[in-house]
Amino acid sequence: MKLFSTQIIVPVDSNSVLQGALEVKHVLEEMIGKYNLGSQVSVVETGALGIYDQGVVLAVFPDDVYYGNVMPSDVEEIVTEHLLKGRVVSRLTIDRSLSSKRLVEKESGKSQQKIVLRNAGLIDPQSIDEYIARDGYGALAKALAMQPGEVIQVLTDSKLQGRGGAGFPTGLKWGMVAKEQSDEKYIVCNADEGEPGTFKDRLILEGDPHSIVEAMAIAGYATGAHVGIVYVRGEYFMSIARLKKAIKDATEYGLLGKDILGTGFQFDIEVYRGGGAYVCGEEFALLESIENKRGTPRNKPPFPPQQGLFGKPTVVNNVETFANVPPILLNGSDWFKSFGTPSSAGTKVFSLSGDIVNRGIVEAPLGITLRELIYDFGGGVKGGKHIGFIQTGGSAGTVLTDKFLDVPLDFASMKTNSVSIGSGVILVASEDVPLLPFLAEVAHFFWHESCGKCTPCREGTLQVKTIMDSLVNRTADPASLQRLGKLLTTLNDTSFCGLGQAAPLAFESALRNFPEVFDQALAESHVPEVCQEEV
Amino acid sequence: MELDNVMRPAGQAQPLSDEDKRFLRELVETNRTEHHGRLSYMDIMFELEHHYGNSLPGPVLGEVARLLGTSPAQLNGFVTFYTMLSTEPRGRHVVRVCTSGPCHVTGAPSIVAELKQLLGVELGETTSDGMFTLEASSCLGICGVSPALMIDDDAYGNLTPEDLPRILDAKRAGGAQ
Repeated sequence: MKLFSTQIIVPVDSNSVLQGALEVKHVLEEMIGKYNLGSQVSVVETGALGIYDQGVVLAVFPDDVYYGNVMPSDVEEIVTEHLLKGRVVSRLTIDRSLSSKRLVEKESGKSQQKIVLRNAGLIDPQSIDEYIARDGYGALAKALAMQPGEVIQVLTDSKLQGRGGAGFPTGLKWGMVAKEQSDEKYIVCNADEGEPGTFKDRLILEGDPHSIVEAMAIAGYATGAHVGIVYVRGEYFMSIARLKKAIKDATEYGLLGKDILGTGFQFDIEVYRGGGAYVCGEEFALLESIENKRGTPRNKPPFPPQQGLFGKPTVVNNVETFANVPPILLNGSDWFKSFGTPSSAGTKVFSLSGDIVNRGIVEAPLGITLRELIYDFGGGVKGGKHIGFIQTGGSAGTVLTDKFLDVPLDFASMKTNSVSIGSGVILVASEDVPLLPFLAEVAHFFWHESCGKCTPCREGTLQVKTIMDSLVNRTADPASLQRLGKLLTTLNDTSFCGLGQAAPLAFESALRNFPEVFDQALAESHVPEVCQEEV
Repeated sequence: MELDNVMRPAGQAQPLSDEDKRFLRELVETNRTEHHGRLSYMDIMFELEHHYGNSLPGPVLGEVARLLGTSPAQLNGFVTFYTMLSTEPRGRHVVRVCTSGPCHVTGAPSIVAELKQLLGVELGETTSDGMFTLEASSCLGICGVSPALMIDDDAYGNLTPEDLPRILDAKRAGGAQ
C-alpha cells in the first residue's frame, strides 16, 4: 500500500455531483499531475459530508481544512498555495463543524462516536478495504462467534427501534423470525426511500454501502435466513451501483456466500429496483413488488415475520435501522443506550430541507429539539426570515408553528406533544410560503400515490384533494371544513394500510395549529353558482 | 395463441421480428440467472424501455408475458401500476420534475410553469417533435438541492427558471447525435 502525506477528500454523492464535484475532481487530478505531486497527494472519493449549501466541498487531511463552493477555476490556487506552499486559501474555507461527522460529539458531549454516518464522508464507499480498516465486518465476525439468540438479545437490550417511521423494536422483530420454523427465510432491506423530504438512506447507501451488507448478513445469521434482498428506489442509480459493487466485493472476500469466514454460515444478497411507487415503502406492498406484482398491501395479521416474502418468515428493516446494527454489536447495548432519551435510544439521521441556510443531513441523538436542528445545525431560515411553518416526519407528518421549536424529538413525541418524527424529515418554510397551496400539494401527493386497493384511501384522498383545492381557489363551500374533519377521521380509522392511515396527519395538525388560515380561506370563498344550486 | 392482440395500444401494430424475439428471450434468461432462478420484472421492464424508446410496446409485452409464464393481463397490471413505466409512447427524453413538499417550498411551481411554457405541453404530454415527455414526479430524494428534476438518468438541482433553457438545449443536442 502506498503512503501519501496528504489526502484530499471529494464527496461524490448525488447532491455533490449535481453541483459539479466531478469537474472539480478532474481538474484537481490534472493539477496534481501538472505540479508533480502525484507521489505525495492522493485524491479520495467519498460519500456525502452532509454539507449541501456550500457547493463542491474539498477536505484536506491531515490539515483538517475544509474548502467550500470550490469552482474548477479555484483548484490551481488550492494546489499551488495549500499543497505546495502550505498556505491555506482562506477565502474558500468553510466551518468544518458543518460536516455531519462532527455533529454527534457536538451535541451529546458524551462520546466521540458517530453511529449511522460513522463512515460516510470519511471512507471511499467503493473500497471494501477502507470499510474493513474502520472495523468493518468486525461485527459480523463477532456475531458469528456468538449464538444467534445472543445476537438478538444484544439488539433487544439496545432498545433499537425501526428508523423507517413506525419505530417497531428491531430485536423483537428479529426474535419473531428466529422463532419461526421454515425451510426458507428472508432478510429484506427497505431502501424505497420515498417519504418527501427524506434523503438519508440515499446518503447511507452512497456513502457506506458495506454497513448495510454487513448488517443484513448479521440479521441472516441471527434469524436463520440465507437470502437478503435490498429493494432500492428505481431513481437511485448511484445507490444501486455502489450496493452492487459492495455485494460483489464482499462475496469475493468471503464475507458473503457459501462459507462466511469459514463458519459454514451461508448468506447472499440481491438488489431489486422499485418502479416509482410511494406505497411500496409499506412493507407488504414492498414484498408484493419483489414478487413481481402490483405494489399493494396485504391484510395483517399475519405479519411479515410470520408470512412475508413468498409466504416465508421475513425481516423487513429500513436502511438506517440496519446501519445501526454493526456498531451496537461492536460496542454493546449500554453504549447505544447512552445516546438518546429513556423512551428512544440512539441517534436519528434528520434530513433538513426547504428554506433553511444549511440544507443537508444531520445525525443527532434522539431528544434533540427542532430549535437545535434548525438554528444550530441548519443555520436558521434563509434570508433571516421568520418560520412560516415546519413539517416534521414527511408528507405523512405534522405541520407545526414555531411554538413547537423546543419539543424534544423522539419516538414518544407524537404521543406526548403531537409532533411526528417519522423518517426524520425537517422541512422548513419561511413566512413567505403560503400554507394552503403547500397542503394542496400534499393532498395531490397522497391522491396520486394511493394504490387504490381500499375505498377509504382511494376515494378519501381524492375528496381531501378536492377540498384543499377549493380552499386554495376560494371556492370552498361553508360546510367543507366539517367535511374535511370527518374525512380525515375516516381515512385514519378505516384505511387498509399505513398510507391512508397516516395521510391525515398533515391536515389534522395544520387545522389544529393554523385554524385562522382555514377560517380566512372559508370567509373569502365564493361558491360558484352552479354548485350552489346543487347544494 | 394471439397474445399480442390483448395488449396492443394504438400505433404499435407491427409484429415482432425474429431479432426482437431473440433479444427478449436472452433478456429474460439473463435476468433469471442474475436473480438465482427468481426474476425481477422491474429490471426486465427497465431494459425494455431502454431498448424500445422509453415505453413498452404491446406486442413486446405480449411476448415477454409468454416468456415469463404469466398472463398478459397480469403483466399489464404490473406495468401500469408503476409510474416509472409507461405503455404509452413517450418522447426521447423523459423530464421528471419534482413537485413534492421540499421542492414546492423552494420554487417548484415556477419551475413547472416554465417547463410547460418552454416545451409547449402540459404535464403528462409529449412535445410534437417527440423529443421530451414532461412528467410530474413525487420526491426524488435530492431535497438538499431543491428544486430538482431528472431527465432520463441525470438529476439537476438548485434550479431557477432561467436554468431550464440551457438544460433542455443540452439534452436536445445530445439526443440528436
